[in-house]
Amino acid sequence: MAEIRIEHVTKAFGDNVAIDDINLTIEDQEFLVLLGPSGCGKTTLLRAIAGLGMADSGRIAIGGQDVTYLPPGQRQISMVFQSYAIFPHMTVHQNIGFGLLMNKVEKAEIDRRVRSAAELLHIEDLLDRRPSAMSGGQRQRVAVARALAMEAKVLLMDEPLSNLDALLRLEMRAELKRLLADVEATTVYVTHDQIEALSMGDRVAVMLDGKIQQCDAPNTVYESPSNQFVGSFIGNPPMNFMEGTIRRDRDNLTVAVGEHDFSPPEALQPLIRELSGDRVTLGIRAENMETLVAPSSDTVPVTIEVVEPLGAQNLLTAKIGGHRLKVSTHPSLAVAAKQQVHIRLPADQIRWIDPANQSVLYKR
Amino acid sequence: MTTPDTATSASKARTWRYRVVPYLLIAPAIVYLAMFFAYPMYEGLVLAVYDDDALLPIRDEPNLGASEVSKIPQGTALAIVDRSSQEVVGDGSADALTDPWYEVTAEDPSGSPVSGWVSGARIRVRDEDATGAPVSGTVRPRLAATSDPLTDVHESPNDRSEVIGKLEQRAPVEINEVALLEVWFQVRPADDPAAAAGWAPSRFLQVFEDGERGRVHRGTDGEFTTAFIGRMIDDRFFGPAVRTTLLLMVLIIPAQFVLAMVMALVVHARTRLSTGFLYAFSLPIGMSDLAAGILFFSIFTGNGLLNSILDGLGIIDGPYAFLTADTVGWIIFAIVLAELWRATSIVMVILVAGLQAIPDETLEAAELFGASYFQRVRHIMLPLLRPSIQVALILRTILAFQVFAVVIALGGGDVVTVLANESYRQYFGLRNNNVASAYAVFILMLSMASAFFYLRAVRSEPETRPT
Amino acid sequence: MSLKTAPEDSAGPAAGAGLPTVLPPLDSPEVQKMHRRMRRRRGRGRLTAYITGTILTLWIAVPIFFVFSMAFTTQETVRSYPKNFLPFIAFSTDTMRFFLESDGVLQSLWNSMVVAGITLVLSTLISIPAGYAIARYLFRGRDLFRLAVLAVRAFPIVVLSIPLAVLYLRIGVFDSLYSLALMHTALALPTSILVVSSVFASVPYELEEAGKVFGATPFQSFRYIVVPLVLPGIAASGLFSFVLSWNEVFAAAILTINNRTLPALVLNSLANSPDAFQFAGGFFLMVPSIVFMFFIRRYLFNMWGQVTK
Repeated sequence: MAEIRIEHVTKAFGDNVAIDDINLTIEDQEFLVLLGPSGCGKTTLLRAIAGLGMADSGRIAIGGQDVTYLPPGQRQISMVFQSYAIFPHMTVHQNIGFGLLMNKVEKAEIDRRVRSAAELLHIEDLLDRRPSAMSGGQRQRVAVARALAMEAKVLLMDEPLSNLDALLRLEMRAELKRLLADVEATTVYVTHDQIEALSMGDRVAVMLDGKIQQCDAPNTVYESPSNQFVGSFIGNPPMNFMEGTIRRDRDNLTVAVGEHDFSPPEALQPLIRELSGDRVTLGIRAENMETLVAPSSDTVPVTIEVVEPLGAQNLLTAKIGGHRLKVSTHPSLAVAAKQQVHIRLPADQIRWIDPANQSVLYKR
Repeated sequence: MTTPDTATSASKARTWRYRVVPYLLIAPAIVYLAMFFAYPMYEGLVLAVYDDDALLPIRDEPNLGASEVSKIPQGTALAIVDRSSQEVVGDGSADALTDPWYEVTAEDPSGSPVSGWVSGARIRVRDEDATGAPVSGTVRPRLAATSDPLTDVHESPNDRSEVIGKLEQRAPVEINEVALLEVWFQVRPADDPAAAAGWAPSRFLQVFEDGERGRVHRGTDGEFTTAFIGRMIDDRFFGPAVRTTLLLMVLIIPAQFVLAMVMALVVHARTRLSTGFLYAFSLPIGMSDLAAGILFFSIFTGNGLLNSILDGLGIIDGPYAFLTADTVGWIIFAIVLAELWRATSIVMVILVAGLQAIPDETLEAAELFGASYFQRVRHIMLPLLRPSIQVALILRTILAFQVFAVVIALGGGDVVTVLANESYRQYFGLRNNNVASAYAVFILMLSMASAFFYLRAVRSEPETRPT
Repeated sequence: MSLKTAPEDSAGPAAGAGLPTVLPPLDSPEVQKMHRRMRRRRGRGRLTAYITGTILTLWIAVPIFFVFSMAFTTQETVRSYPKNFLPFIAFSTDTMRFFLESDGVLQSLWNSMVVAGITLVLSTLISIPAGYAIARYLFRGRDLFRLAVLAVRAFPIVVLSIPLAVLYLRIGVFDSLYSLALMHTALALPTSILVVSSVFASVPYELEEAGKVFGATPFQSFRYIVVPLVLPGIAASGLFSFVLSWNEVFAAAILTINNRTLPALVLNSLANSPDAFQFAGGFFLMVPSIVFMFFIRRYLFNMWGQVTK
């Protein structure tokens, strides 16, 4: 059992609060991704778990043991660093075996574990080489092998793929996923790349300003963002947002965006009615809208400003009520700039956001 | 630089710029280092092994144009065969023996007027003019019965020139002109009566009182010689200087590296006071060994800080004399402390720079994989610092050869001495440029040898350099 | 702004909800006490660094402080025993006045300033073009030149003072402040060149090119873009040359007889001057490096660090 419990953990650098009262439980053998823009505190949180940076307050427990202020070497963790942090003066074998040597594992066992880790990463041939003569991808493999050879209960990864070029990153992403599926360790993986996060994690914790905005399965994070930030940070293109004006009639509630009225689903109507002002923000993803050439009862007529062909899809830019929307369409739909089309915004795909705190409204 | 107006000339100008400009830029530095490093180094080598005035040529006639009979080494004892006055040559060196000659007008024994040059030894000056120049005199009488009673009058101021007249003793003469002539001696080596005698100007000779013996004071011809190196090695301070220099290195350098490493680790710990510590630790970088010597003199001297503290603590009753000829051990100890105090900062700065080149993540990785602080120092920092340590060792060892003022400040320079101090003593105290240069060259050789040794012994493979 | 961690209808286990725990509550006194203890333990390394650093700072500072207080007290205090050094030695300008009024001291201070000043100017003037060339041009022999400069720096150049003295005597410039400054410039030059080149290298060439793109001549872009950026570094290297010359003993003692610089004067009067004279002299020897090192310290690593590259 190596569940990681993070309770009320706060850390500030001077006046800058890097992580602010974080509460998070990472299940045993779970793969959790910390995702967020740079400066959001994800690396600080990882370093607090690793023990490389001390939390100011709160508690971190690994497998039921309070490790908040324990030195990293005593936490039974291992880690892959962003710059790999391979020891340049040691051979690959010495690098992979370093942690075991420090933990006084006997020599034969070190050799066995180094070899099996190397085999897993396909770097058996490099064991006697020194890192200076190796490519970035090979160093990356050494770093991962070194972390795996520890057979620790917790595996931490700090943007391990960010120093690789695009092609190699794609390849390593899949390989890491394959490897880690077999590893019985609780994994915390930090990245700023949403595709990595969504494709690898059991759960994704999206962070901003030192706080976890949402921590859910990748699909949930994508489909049902908890707030406007998560919606805008995840997805490419980001979620579209429109300002709407609430019209509270006697028993009917509509939201007007420009000249168009939208009626929220029944379940959410009471929530919207309760909002303090008369404004509400509508959010919808580009691929959740339908583009039609002919008008229909529930479509909104728009004029295309730009068409961006992206191969698998075409991205249209159009305006509704002064808000620019990105709409993705199948490439077979032949449309051009300045042409009028009609787009349908399905009510169940629209996310309704309280402008006061940017949180998305979901039925209770 | 002109701005060319066509594309081709522009590109030509650019090529010219990149080809020539860098060399123009480094030219002053190269010329300067050649003048003040390479040339003195060459000159020093020459001084150490080449004796400028080893040999004195002797000639078959007493003038510089005459052909050489042989060369006699400096210091050779001489037998003087003859003496002659010759025309003054050169600058009339202070070492030269001179004879005044007078151009006189007088009457010869026959009463006819005669005019010519007479040796000053034959004329007694009777009258001088306002400036002190002789105007008239009389011919000195000859005392020895055997010699010619008459005095020769020569055609020119040179006793080898033609005799154009004779003067009677006590004959009055008018003096028209005075010439100072250098005396030449006909000599041969005293221990070899069979050797051919030859003439040499007196300025290069030392003539003893009896006028019959002398020695070669200084030669004019150079010769390669190991004499200066021999004199250095035979010097009574040479052995102690070599031993102390090496002893000080053995005592100082290892301790210095430990101390510098501790300082570097303190600076590298990135505490709030790190820059303050760095400033404090690097203070002695700009200070001389003289200043360090004075600092530790103030501590170890009789009424200094150390005695005052020991007295205050009741450990001693009166001042203990640490820095005397009887307490060489204490002098060495004080020198070691002064050098540790002064020269550790250079090593510290090099090590801190080396530590800064190690990425933080490398050290964090070691920590994360369970290495304790000392294991991180031992397994990560020291191996990665190898190139820095090598550079520091070379620099430190070579700079250690230059130290001398601290030895004078703490031990007076005699009881405890080092090589640089002996070079200084030979030059300044004994005025012996050649032996002083031999010491300087010896120091250079030791420096090169130690640099070579370190490059070999602490050889760093390219892979071990921090990336 | 307070945002909920996760909506209630999200999939997966909700954060921190209802899991059984063996740990006592975070705010319980036992946890707080343990955390305080463990924090202290982890702070111990830092504390060790502070303590070691303070001890080593005292090791550097105490001798300086003691000599400085000896330089500013009465001559009786200098001669007295045992000295009452706590808390402070009585302040007086007596020692200092005695030193400054001694024969030749003011002259030697002035001589030192002249020599160090000339060394500063000369070494800066020569090292700027050489440093620029190393930093900016890739020319044949560049590495050789760098290596030669490094080798010269690592040589005990001062022992070359003796042949230089013989040479100076021969051409009649012996015992002159200017000739001594020429020697000191040779001493300072290698370090100067390396520092200046690393200072130039720290200014991206793109900046200079950008200047040229916007119409500046090479000289203008050097004058208005590079110079302001490198000035502090070049000033630091100049100050270092000054300090080096100010403290140089061997060459100064060899190359001067009547025109003594301060270190040469102090060295020659070690044997036959009262302690007060030496301590006051020591004060003047050390003051420039204490003042200037404050401005130079940022560039120290340029001087000594880059050799490892």
